[in-house]
This record gives sequence, structure tokens and C-alpha cells, in this order.
Amino acid sequence: MRPSAPRSRRLRAFILLGLCLALAACGGGGGGGSSSTASGGSGGGGGSSTPALNNFAAITIDGGPPAIVAQGGAYNEPFVTVTLCAPGSTTNCQTVDHILLDTGSVGFRVEASVLNASLLAALTSETDPGGNPVGECYQYVDGYVFGSVKKADFTLGGGQVAGLPIHVIGDSGPFATAPASCSASAGTFLNTVALFGANGVLGVGVTATDCGPLCASSTSQGSAAYYDCPASGCGAVITRAANTTAPFEQLPNPVAAFSTDNNGVIVSLPAVAASGAATLSGTLYFGIGTESNNSLGSATVIATSTSTSPHGAGLITVNYKGQSLTESYIDSGSSDLFFVDTSIPACTNTNLSGYYCPATPLMLALTLSGSNGASVSVSQALNSAQILLNSNISAIPGTGFNPTTSKNLNSPSSSFDLGIPFFYGRKVYSAIEGRAAGGVYGPYVAF
Amino acid sequence: MTLDCQADGLRSRRLGTWARALACGIALAVAPAAARAELGGRYASVMADSVQLRARVKSVPATNYTVHQMSLANGGEVRQFAAADGTVFAVAWNGPGRPDLRQLLGPRFDVVQAANAPAPGHFRRHALSVQHPDFVVQTGGHPGAFFGVAYLPQALPAGVTGSEIH
Repeated sequence: MRPSAPRSRRLRAFILLGLCLALAACGGGGGGGSSSTASGGSGGGGGSSTPALNNFAAITIDGGPPAIVAQGGAYNEPFVTVTLCAPGSTTNCQTVDHILLDTGSVGFRVEASVLNASLLAALTSETDPGGNPVGECYQYVDGYVFGSVKKADFTLGGGQVAGLPIHVIGDSGPFATAPASCSASAGTFLNTVALFGANGVLGVGVTATDCGPLCASSTSQGSAAYYDCPASGCGAVITRAANTTAPFEQLPNPVAAFSTDNNGVIVSLPAVAASGAATLSGTLYFGIGTESNNSLGSATVIATSTSTSPHGAGLITVNYKGQSLTESYIDSGSSDLFFVDTSIPACTNTNLSGYYCPATPLMLALTLSGSNGASVSVSQALNSAQILLNSNISAIPGTGFNPTTSKNLNSPSSSFDLGIPFFYGRKVYSAIEGRAAGGVYGPYVAF
Repeated sequence: MTLDCQADGLRSRRLGTWARALACGIALAVAPAAARAELGGRYASVMADSVQLRARVKSVPATNYTVHQMSLANGGEVRQFAAADGTVFAVAWNGPGRPDLRQLLGPRFDVVQAANAPAPGHFRRHALSVQHPDFVVQTGGHPGAFFGVAYLPQALPAGVTGSEIH
């Protein structure tokens, strides 16, 4: 189960990197949306008077990295590929595929086990005022990750950031063990590819940094907490300023760290037949309303809760069957629609415990609304999850899961999680807090 | 009636915190050192939790129970539901991060861990949950906005329904 970064994968990574160096579209550099950092590729347009746009990266939905394929494969997980280089180097680099594209979190994080030893050793450590390396704990809905905060030169499609603070999960030395205050949030220490479900994660949610003002105080962490990490181990929580532009002290949203096209993203995935697809390709656009390929168009802006909202950032209201679910959200890191409706038959197959298995496909009537008063009604397909038993299919529309299957009492519910099934056949916009995007300030979602 | 009590949680001020708790009219049947804080514990454990979590506490009586609302420094909130005899039968939370569940759930924290241990088979990313006859946990959200509830079905006061525990 434990991924060992097999030699064949490293070889493939270097071949991919070679391809990227040959193709301008992979490396950024010349196009209208490029940043000015790092060396990068040649100009984009091949001599055309109008430079080709390169403010995008490819999205792939497939069975995931080998460690996950070995478990039966991932489904509805959108992946991107990044290239990491040691700061200032153009040769000590590695291309890492199967990075989960997550609009529900913030920051770039990678499992230490997938990094080449030479690159891992050359990444610059972030240090605290005492001169010790900085560690970080970050909570996910199923557990937490812990590891060091490093700097790397970062390339994602046509976007680049020199010296991007990144999180290296599960590395060695003082970072091998999560502090008690980290593990107290419960769940699994997701320190392997097999446990994490991906080689890493690209968090491009609605805030510019992963903790904001909370981590500027040592007593008020959010889902992120930063630690002082002397050789004896990480213990004390430290403060990290909430700078939303470089130099960052917290992990930034990598798109927020781009020099242009940095006010949000668009996740564009094609529609999928009810029978599913073995693989699916889409596009992640950088910026909203900054280039000819990322205009807001007729999309409706739905303002989300902010980082100073009592319940946290990124929440909207979904009205479903007369219930006003005020802790709802759109999340590319969720593989299913997560909601509670005991009138819909649950799957009886014990391997599908918690999933919905309606006898015939349903169309759920949902109304999404935001703090700006805007609302949009949609019809969302819900199909039987029985199709999940076919492991050859990775893109599956309409899968739904009931997270509150207790028979003990009426389950409290205030949330509808619009995961990847909501994204199929849509362009979903996610604008960063405090930045104007298409004439409207984030945080918002739009589609 | 609403009691508004402060517990700022600095260790050096713990005595002062307890003095304020007493001043707020909270009857401490158990000495602070013995006030093990946990779901299923007694009312006094709420104050121990508030110290650990550096929280302000506001107690709001309902028909068959009292809700002790703890406002956390990160803007989030923890709500402890205590029956008339002082038994904490439910805990709910929301905010940018999950609170210290080891503190709030006591020994049942290990039950959460066991129930959510990685299982063989297909990879699936699901929120932490426990569905036992005597212990239920339901959680959700995403980094920056988490919520959840933990309760003891067999300790619910008469007439309490699920919709009240949130």
C-alpha cells in the first residue's frame, strides 16, 4: 500500500518534464497571462502577432496514481500536473502528476514520498524567528496532514511562481510525528499517497492564504496551524502573518501568488453520459475577466461567506425540498453530492454503505443562493451509485452519499456539498476574497 | 435567563477563571482537578473544556437541558448540551477548524479514531462519522469551514429531537 515512487514513474516524470520544456504551453513564459518569474519556455504564439494565451492547465479525471489504482482506482477526482524545481534551479526539477484539484481548500501540498531525494533535499526550508524550520498542520474533512513548509519554484500549466511556500506532507526528522494539538482534530494522518488519494493537492479555494488573520495569533488557528520545529520535534504553535502577496508567511493559494490572472479560477469539465467515462479531460483556467478565455459572461455570481464569518469561508445556502441548508458549498475535492434525504433509497450492497441508489435517476431541484442576494435554480441528476462497483469508470455523474445514516434520531443537517457531479457540463468560477474578478469582489462562486 | 461567563484559559489565570465561574453561579460539585472534560461527563467538565479551548461560555437553558455555548478565539463555536442532572449528552461545533475533539470527547475520541480507520478496498474520501447505537458522530465541511455533532443517543433527555442538536 505504501507508495515507493517506483523507478518507472520517475522515468515517466522526466519524460513529461522533457515534453513540457519542448512545448511552450506547458511552461508559461510568453503568453498574455504569464508571470515574470523563473526561466520558463519560449513565447507562446509561434510568431503570431497575438501571443497565445497560456493561463490554463489541463485537468484529467482517471483512476489516480498507482497506489490508488491498486486499491481499485479513484473516481470523480480531478487531477492536475505540476512541476517543482529547487529554488533558482532549472535542472533539479520534478514533474508530479495526480495532484488533486481542490476548490474546497487552499495551498499546494505534496506527499514527501513522491519527491526525488535530490529535489526534496534542495527545497528551501521556511524558518521562524528562532531560526528553526516551520511545520504545518492542516485539517481535512477525513483527517489531517502534517509536515514541513518549504519553498519551491512552481509551474502549473502556463502559470509560474518562484519560491512558492508549499507543504511537504509526511517528511522526516521533526516532521515525522504530528503534534498532539494537530492530531486532536481527529481522523487519519494522511501521510501516504494511498491514504491521501493523490500525490498532492492544489488548493484553489476562495481565500488568498490557508489561514488568514487567524494564524497571526497563536491562540486562534483555523484548519491550519503553524509550528516551531527544532530538531527535537515540533511543539509550539507560532504566528504567521496573513500577507496576501509575496513574501508570504502562510501557504498561499498558488493562483493568488501568480503575478497576473490571479483573482480566481474556472473549473471547466465536459458533461458525462450516465454510463460514465473511463477518463475525462477538462481545463482549469486562471483568472476571471482578465483574458479573452476567462470572462464571467452570463454566469451568476453567488457571494460566499468570508474568512471572518463565524462558520468560516466559502459557504453558500442551498434550498432543497423546503430546507434552507446554510452550510453548503461547491467543492471539486468532493467526489459525490453529500446531502441528507432519507426518502431516497440507500444502496443495499454493503460495499456501497451510505450511497444513494434510486431505482431510476432523479433530478434534484436545488436553489443556490449567496449573501449578495443572488440565487440560481438548477436541476441536478442523482443516479444509482451501483455503477461505482465497475472500477473501470473514473468519471461518474450523479453519485450521492448520505453522511448521516444514523437511525437513532432525526439527523441534523444544514449542508449540501456540491461535489464533482455538480461540475460535469459546467464552468464553475471561484473568486478569491478581496480581489476584483470580472468587476465583482471575491469571495464568490459563479456558474 | 442567560449566564455570561468568561474563561480566557491562560494557565496562570486558571484560579481566577474558576473564581469567576463560581461568581457566575456555577455550582462545582466536583473539584476542578477531578473535572474530566468529556462527552458523557458532568456539567463541571464544560468549564474545564472552556479553559482548554480558551473560550467564553454562555449558558442558555432549554426545556429539558441547558446549552453551554463556548465562543472560540477563531470565531467558531462549541455547544455542549447538558441534561438536568448535569450529564453532557451532546456536543456540536462549527468554525474554521475542528476543535480539540480529544478534549471534548474524552475516551470516546478513540472510538472515533477506530471507526474512521482506513479500510481496505476502493479509495473514498468521506467525512468523519460514527454510527454506533450508543454513540453517534456526524461531521462535514471543508478546510476553513467545518461543522459536526457528537451525541449519546441513550442519554438524550425525554422529548429531545435531533433537530435541536446542532
